[in-house]
Amino acid sequence: MIDAPRQITLEEWDERRAALTAAGLREPPYGGPLGRHAREAGDARLFKLRFDNSTAALRLWNFLLTEEARLHAARAAGRKIVGTMKDLGTVPVMAYALPGLTAFYPDGAWWTPCVMELSDRLFAIADSLGVDDSFCPVRAMLGAFVNQAHFPIPDLLTCSVGATCDDFSAIAQRVEGLGHPILWWEMPHRRAPDPGEAAVKLPGGFVAPREQVDFVRGELERIKTALEALAGQKLDQRRLAAGIDAANQVRAALAELRLLCFTAERAPLPALELLVAEMLAIHFCSDRDEALAVLTQLLAEVYARLDVEQGYGDARAVRVYWVNPVADLRLMNLLEECGGRLCGTEYLFCHALDRIPTDLEPMEALARMALADPMAGPASDRARRVIRDLRRFRAEALVVARIPGASHCASEGQLIREAVRAELGLPVVEIEVPPLSDPFLPSLKTRLEALVETARERRGKNADCGMRNAEFNSCSCSSS
Amino acid sequence: MKTILYSCPYVPAEWIAAHALRPSRIVPRLGGEAHAGAARWNGSGLCLLVRAWLGEAARRREESGLAAIVLSTTCDQMRRAAELVERVADVPVFLMNIPSTWQTVAAQNLYGEELKRLGRFLVTLGGQRPSAETLARVMLEFDEARAALRAARGRLSPKDFARALAEFQAAGSPDWRPGGERLKCEPPSLMEPLPQANSVDCSPGRDDSPSAQDFSPGKSTVWPASPVGTTELNTGHHPIPLALVGEALLEQQMEIFDLIEQAGGRIDLDASAMGERTLPAPLDRRALKDDPLAALAEAYFGSIPDAMRRPNSALYQWLKINMAERGIRGIVFRRSLWCDLWNAEAQRMKEWALAPLLALDLSDEERPNGSTVSRIGSFLEMLA
Repeated sequence: MIDAPRQITLEEWDERRAALTAAGLREPPYGGPLGRHAREAGDARLFKLRFDNSTAALRLWNFLLTEEARLHAARAAGRKIVGTMKDLGTVPVMAYALPGLTAFYPDGAWWTPCVMELSDRLFAIADSLGVDDSFCPVRAMLGAFVNQAHFPIPDLLTCSVGATCDDFSAIAQRVEGLGHPILWWEMPHRRAPDPGEAAVKLPGGFVAPREQVDFVRGELERIKTALEALAGQKLDQRRLAAGIDAANQVRAALAELRLLCFTAERAPLPALELLVAEMLAIHFCSDRDEALAVLTQLLAEVYARLDVEQGYGDARAVRVYWVNPVADLRLMNLLEECGGRLCGTEYLFCHALDRIPTDLEPMEALARMALADPMAGPASDRARRVIRDLRRFRAEALVVARIPGASHCASEGQLIREAVRAELGLPVVEIEVPPLSDPFLPSLKTRLEALVETARERRGKNADCGMRNAEFNSCSCSSS
Repeated sequence: MKTILYSCPYVPAEWIAAHALRPSRIVPRLGGEAHAGAARWNGSGLCLLVRAWLGEAARRREESGLAAIVLSTTCDQMRRAAELVERVADVPVFLMNIPSTWQTVAAQNLYGEELKRLGRFLVTLGGQRPSAETLARVMLEFDEARAALRAARGRLSPKDFARALAEFQAAGSPDWRPGGERLKCEPPSLMEPLPQANSVDCSPGRDDSPSAQDFSPGKSTVWPASPVGTTELNTGHHPIPLALVGEALLEQQMEIFDLIEQAGGRIDLDASAMGERTLPAPLDRRALKDDPLAALAEAYFGSIPDAMRRPNSALYQWLKINMAERGIRGIVFRRSLWCDLWNAEAQRMKEWALAPLLALDLSDEERPNGSTVSRIGSFLEMLA
């Protein structure tokens, strides 16, 4: 017997946890009442969120919100800390393959101003350094390097540049200018192979010239050398292959979780917890083994809910595909409040969710995976992948969340919207989500509600012309 | 001759010219945004340069001599602009991958491979694959012309020097001279030592008087040997030497030079994106003889400092040397909204520079606005 899925407040969670603890709930060492993060650590945004009521979700949130403490503990235990900036899913696989190394994403600080409702003052520090709100919220990372009140300063900093966003490249350069040396590595702009040029199919389906894969592989070899020097051990093929296997276990768990949640009749998990779960894939939230355990428990919860046909909302909820992560977590709650449910995501790092090939030499496999980064290629590539997933998950509407100030958002969202409209005729909305969206919630809500209503109306038209059970996008009377 | 349009300093003009095509490096002009393909991007968060490129591509749709547009990956917005410009332009768009890193052999090789890929593209447009000898000859001609340009700096007003640089790069010919005058330069021999930038003397006649049309090299350019700016003429005071750093000035923003002079200053170091900072280094003739393409790559990729490079320490080294050499007392930092790579450098440069820095936010207004005029005046008053 499981509790019916329900979204509850922070206060409700603390009461519930107390009751569960009294009834014998056992938690990992980082467990505890969620409310402590808000009351003691200043994570005030939690008061405004609605959380899934499963113990799996409790563990997920506690795991996420204790990452900084975990990093400091790792440092205290003598582990070397690697800050892997921007590559989203590649260097951590290598770092965790070596004993004694803990990798994390300083980029993750971009959510701190939201979670702490600006009490962290990270944006103010960035402002004082000339990195104002014309930059994306990842500028919070610069503040975190200055005040050193969040993550420990890494023993090694790596940063992918080239075909990456300007915001991050510029801010990382400022970080280096403040006295934190960075090992820069180049990610070339992924292009289509020329006629007759040797080509390689990448995980996820993109294709790249052989020479670009070789180049990235060479860059990763430089990273490998630096990691080996830091760890004092060789990262041989056996170790790297084992690291890839472990990363693939996390990816497989996440892939299963996504598939179940996106295709179930009723959503077994809310959008917010799914977003947090996906984030675990890129750097394991600083503990690879525990990340897998957290995902495994979430999977078990989902299976249990599916077994008893429990979930959120009803079958009428509009199936929404979401592009780009939101700077304000509150938005994911809002989707459900507006009658939508998550049925597909592309949070900028779909390459970190794809299985890393194991039938290749490990460095070759990692190079291919890195080059499959949707942000490294043209927006049309990314749009194609989004369209493929829209079909796969039978999504009925698309939300493109624009990240304020982000260089890629100036044009990419519109190109994706146009491609989706042209190919599938789906209703699409692009919304800009600031780190604290409270003043904009009424208008954001109106726009999401309009999207949901449009999708429902379209659903009705499809049904009228006998398309209820057919491929939704082939209906000739569809409109965008 | 078919024209190849581009704006990136890392695209070598002589590589295009050696393919028997005309390179034209420009600062795209605003004004074509009314075209449907470009207008829909207004207010979208695109930077000034990308919007200008969309306008430029739209305006040139009917231009018969235009063969292609070459964009580059020097920033994220321009990288992504290739897809947008492609939709507006009537000609092929080539996106050249310029590595951000530069200290590794791999990055240098990647740049070299991109040059070869560009060469193959140019051949598809009707260009002729150059022999090593042809390439070397064209490189020397351009090198000579640039040396003449550099040498002319001290003899032209800063604004005229900026215009000369822009016109030379837009013309895409080593034969270009202000006013259409062609200098009678003998092609230098590959065996000759490389002429120093300030010592070339191949002018038809030497004239010490400062003039916008006087482009003859041969004068010492060790500052403050030569030019007399309008401020000095008008007031008898020595103008305050300044550096212009940052993005390229659009055509309508060239008035900044006049405003600075009227306020008592003068741009003695043009480190903007179309200024002397983005000229390639003089050629290494020994390397040119052995492998001209490698020498070309070295002259461009190995020497041009920029905010986009990682690390971008070479930009600061270049500024340090040149600011000291020219006695620079202040920096005018030209920037605009959404240009992250330069915007992030403004405060850092302010902290780094021994000289005061004025950050000028210039957008797409027709002329520098009142605020800009006032700020320039205050800045120079403070420096006086």
